Amino acid sequence: MKKLITLILAAVMALSLAAYGSAPAAADQQTISLTLWGAEEDQALLARLVEKFKAQYPDQTFDIQIGVESESTAKDTVLTDIEAAADVYAFANDQLNDLVAAGALLNLSGDVSAVLPNFVGKTLDEILAENGEGSVTACKSGENVYAFPMSGGNNYFLYYDSSKISAEQAQSFDTLLDAAKAAGGKVGMTYASGWYNASFFLGAGFVADMKDDGTTYIDWNGTSATGYTGVDVAKGMSDIAVHPAFLAVADGDLSNQIASGAVCAVISGTWDAGACQTAFGDGYAATKLPTFTCGGDQVQMSCFSGFKLMGVNAYSKNSGWAVLLAQFLTNEESQAARFAERQLAPTNLKAAADDAVSSNIAIAASAAQDVFGSVQNVGGKYWDPTATFGQMVATGELNGKDDAAIQAALDTLVEGVCAPVE
Amino acid sequence: MSTKKLDAIARKSRARRSTKIVLHNGLIALLCFIWLIPIIWLVCTSFSAYPGKNTSTFFPKEWSAVHYAKLLTPDTVNQFPTWFLNTFRIACWTCLVSTAFVLMVAYAMSVMRFRGRKSLMNFAVLLNLFPGMLAMIAVYFTLKTFGLTNSHIGLVMVYSASSGLGYLIAKGFFDTVPRSLCEAARLDGCNEAGIFLNIVLPTAKPIIVYTVISSFLTPWMDFVYAKMILNAGISANYTVAVGLYKMLEKSLINTYFTQFCCGGVLVSIPISILFFIMQKFYVQGVTNGAVKG
Amino acid sequence: MGGKPQAYPRLRRRPDNIATILCQFFADFGKAMAKGDLFVKLTLIWWGAGCLRRKQYAKALILTLLEAGVIWFTCGFAMAYVPKFATLGTVQAQQVFNMQTMQSEWNDYDNSFMILLFSLFSFVVWAAALVLCMKSVIGAYRLQFDSQNGLHINSFREDLQEYLDQKFHITLLSLPVLGIVIFTLIPILLLILVAFTNYDQQHMPPTNLFRWVGLTNFATLFGGGITSTFGYAFWRILGWTLVWSFFATLTNYFGGILMSLLINSKLTRGGKLWRTLLVVTIAVPQFVSLLLMRNFFANTGIMNTLCERIGLTAALRSAGLISTSYIPFLSAPGWAHVMIILINIWVGVPYQMLIATGVLMNLPSDQLESARMDGANPFQIFRAITMPYMLQVTGPALVTDFVKNFNNFNVIYLLTQGVYVTTNQLMANSQAKEVDLLVTWLFTLTQDYYNYKMASVIGIMVFVVCAVFTLIGFNFMLRGDKEGTYQ
Repeated sequence: MKKLITLILAAVMALSLAAYGSAPAAADQQTISLTLWGAEEDQALLARLVEKFKAQYPDQTFDIQIGVESESTAKDTVLTDIEAAADVYAFANDQLNDLVAAGALLNLSGDVSAVLPNFVGKTLDEILAENGEGSVTACKSGENVYAFPMSGGNNYFLYYDSSKISAEQAQSFDTLLDAAKAAGGKVGMTYASGWYNASFFLGAGFVADMKDDGTTYIDWNGTSATGYTGVDVAKGMSDIAVHPAFLAVADGDLSNQIASGAVCAVISGTWDAGACQTAFGDGYAATKLPTFTCGGDQVQMSCFSGFKLMGVNAYSKNSGWAVLLAQFLTNEESQAARFAERQLAPTNLKAAADDAVSSNIAIAASAAQDVFGSVQNVGGKYWDPTATFGQMVATGELNGKDDAAIQAALDTLVEGVCAPVE
Repeated sequence: MSTKKLDAIARKSRARRSTKIVLHNGLIALLCFIWLIPIIWLVCTSFSAYPGKNTSTFFPKEWSAVHYAKLLTPDTVNQFPTWFLNTFRIACWTCLVSTAFVLMVAYAMSVMRFRGRKSLMNFAVLLNLFPGMLAMIAVYFTLKTFGLTNSHIGLVMVYSASSGLGYLIAKGFFDTVPRSLCEAARLDGCNEAGIFLNIVLPTAKPIIVYTVISSFLTPWMDFVYAKMILNAGISANYTVAVGLYKMLEKSLINTYFTQFCCGGVLVSIPISILFFIMQKFYVQGVTNGAVKG
Repeated sequence: MGGKPQAYPRLRRRPDNIATILCQFFADFGKAMAKGDLFVKLTLIWWGAGCLRRKQYAKALILTLLEAGVIWFTCGFAMAYVPKFATLGTVQAQQVFNMQTMQSEWNDYDNSFMILLFSLFSFVVWAAALVLCMKSVIGAYRLQFDSQNGLHINSFREDLQEYLDQKFHITLLSLPVLGIVIFTLIPILLLILVAFTNYDQQHMPPTNLFRWVGLTNFATLFGGGITSTFGYAFWRILGWTLVWSFFATLTNYFGGILMSLLINSKLTRGGKLWRTLLVVTIAVPQFVSLLLMRNFFANTGIMNTLCERIGLTAALRSAGLISTSYIPFLSAPGWAHVMIILINIWVGVPYQMLIATGVLMNLPSDQLESARMDGANPFQIFRAITMPYMLQVTGPALVTDFVKNFNNFNVIYLLTQGVYVTTNQLMANSQAKEVDLLVTWLFTLTQDYYNYKMASVIGIMVFVVCAVFTLIGFNFMLRGDKEGTYQ
């Protein structure tokens, strides 16, 4: 009798323990709902990748909704209402600082980074080390990581028609302009944008950075680390602008100019690869940015490195799974698939080493230029004043011969950019 | 004077008159042509074979109607037929609610006399002085509290809830309804509601049509509010305005600009038809409304 | 004494403005509390009490339910937010990741914007509740008076019928006013309050809190602080906004009248056709047609190509009017200002033409006939008869059109966005352009820079300027009350 009771008790205890043990497992069977935002062109690709992700965790039930949000406007939609934004979303790296300041991105270096070793088998640092260094820097704000690198090549470089301009002529802006003039075409570049005209100043050794309190810092009205003055750079810019073969194009109008056949060389990014291929036909070629004349020397133009990142919403409920999804969508296979489908340069080193990638002319030029580039890290007050400065040089309103006026304009520019946010 | 001479004079003045007519109509035709140049350009561009933005020539280099076909076939970016239906539904509901509100407010302010009527009218003028842009974010969060963001009902409410403030023209119209009619109805035992529904409304057909059509147009044109409220990224829920506007993004404009123009043309066709119908009533409606000021 | 029961005593008929209405309301309330019996005073706490005493059971029930609703709202909702109104929240958002559930857990953080919004809701609801309470008291006293003096007390059905008759205006106005309060009044009040906080990009809920800062933002706007700030831009933009509103309104108004006279003249053949063609320009959505206009007049657009081909560009350059290889229709200050007004004529004249057509149809033709017989030429007729009539009829519309153009966001935004880059550095330092109106500047500040506080301050300034002009305009135009003239 006693034995029976003991047996029954033991059985009951075992059963209850089993029930208790399986209770968390039962909880795992709850549907994990996530929302994902990606670019319009990415929708089909993302749907396939999401299915693969679900297949990796067959004992979980997912409900993943994919929505449309262009990477360049992600910040606007997210910041309007952070809590209503998607759990995982793609964005351009220039939006990182604003998103972090508003608390819209989950700090991946925090507690949540523990899910990565558990499920993926690698730590956060190991995952990041698989990508190019520039892209990793772009994901960081301070010491913390806020996103996974997804694709690169979002900088700008030189496209040219090789039937009209030779590769050597494309090395320096002066020879480029002369060659274009001889061929009856023009060289197009956007001056009136702080994104593009920073290439001159950064190339000459100036800095554009952000301080901890959110204000931007530029030193373009003084002397750079390599010994050039802001006036030298501005004069170099002005000399290019007054050349008859130069066409100052409005920001965003480059594709239009390429299509109309007005330009035989243009400074743009990978998004215009298709348009250039159509316009230049067999002469389609691309290379790094040329050098420009600054203070008597030939100085290599720099650029802002651009990346597309995938981040997790800080207000996401299922943040652990969201981090895993974001990591999956930016791992080597996903980046290779993205390249195959949309010709977006992978940041993953192994995927980028693929032949198909290096033979893509635009991506190769972008990578070549990236060597000279720096990650963009500026605040909100940077844009309008620099656009105005570029416009002033482009329209000739700022006389390239008047040193005093140039210096005054540079001083006002720096004052405006570095002003505290009020 | 001889009849011959009179005939000659008559013929001369007729000739002068017909030159006048020709010149006059010629002037009107010229003005209309100038006014329509951008529209002609829109139609021409929509028939271009090139998908991106090419604005250096007036007429497209190659003509093709292929982009109309592309516009009407849904893909991940473009879901024009769905957008059209969405906007049509929203527009119908908006015009129902807006018209009801406008007529109710106009009748109360015009025909009835109650304490505080003048103050309410002045207050309405005051409210109209604030820029609408200012209120956008607050309206978004108000809708969010009721769970109405990303819904068409929310959009209908945004477009029609404050429509009562636009009662002026309808009120002017009601001001011209003879009071004797209302008094006669009252002697017959009608209460105020009866007068509203049976006497005044039937005479207000022109102003009803005017209000219906003006409120029908708003959802087709507005992209600012719609973009803010439909922010879940589900493109099947967009209205035509938001959908077309999103085609202009930097990454898409090279492929979708001509489709954008096609969309613009397709949207303006039903609106033009409505305007045509409206013209007849519009003239009558605004006449009576504006005259009495 | 005795005999016919007196009607409820009312004050003499006074002018009907907000001040007298409020005075009367409070006077009635005071009288009700002073002279009312126990039940009237009880109505202050329990709204249905007075009706119950006089056997209006249904009304008592409704009032009690309403009161319960307000109390439930207060305890369940308002109390979560209103106490924090003074500080606008103190609890910062904090999140902890739970490895077990793979979920983030949040503390009960404060959202400053929600506190502001819901406190405002609560205030509005409480104000309405207060009015309802006072009205119940007044009503209860009225019932007491009626029953003491033997006057008829309405049954519920009779009360309902009143709402279809004498009080029909309340039935008619309730839904529209509710819509206006929720979707216009509360947002406007909210944004006025934001002008006194520091809600901007550094202080964005839900992660950050913002707080009250009093009049600091107004000081920033009117020039305190660094020179290259809002102060500099504000006056210039205000100037252009006034100039723009003036010209836009006037050109469209007269353009519409002239176009209407042209098309409706006796010499016209096929007026309906011409009118329809003109109206088609309005049928195309503005963001399509204005975008095309923007491309049409772009630096490398069709208009420029044409001008270059006919040599106009070269001529202008040698005359020193332009310094670039293109005519900067929409990208240089002076040119853009003029072009915007001209393009606005293109946008607005068809609409004004329709209105003018309607109005002119009612012009007494006998006046025109007699003038023509007296030998007046068309210009004299226009000046002496047509214009005065138009001004008398649509004068008030001119003032409202001025205000509408003051806030005309579409035309300027769609025509200059992305195309116009200012070369005035000080304007650029305040994120403004010379062609900006106050509203487009406001929009840029909210959408691109999330600087809601400065945007609200500018919005208030817009309101003040518009109010001043409206008052001046209406006082100038309206002499006497013309409402009853045509009834």
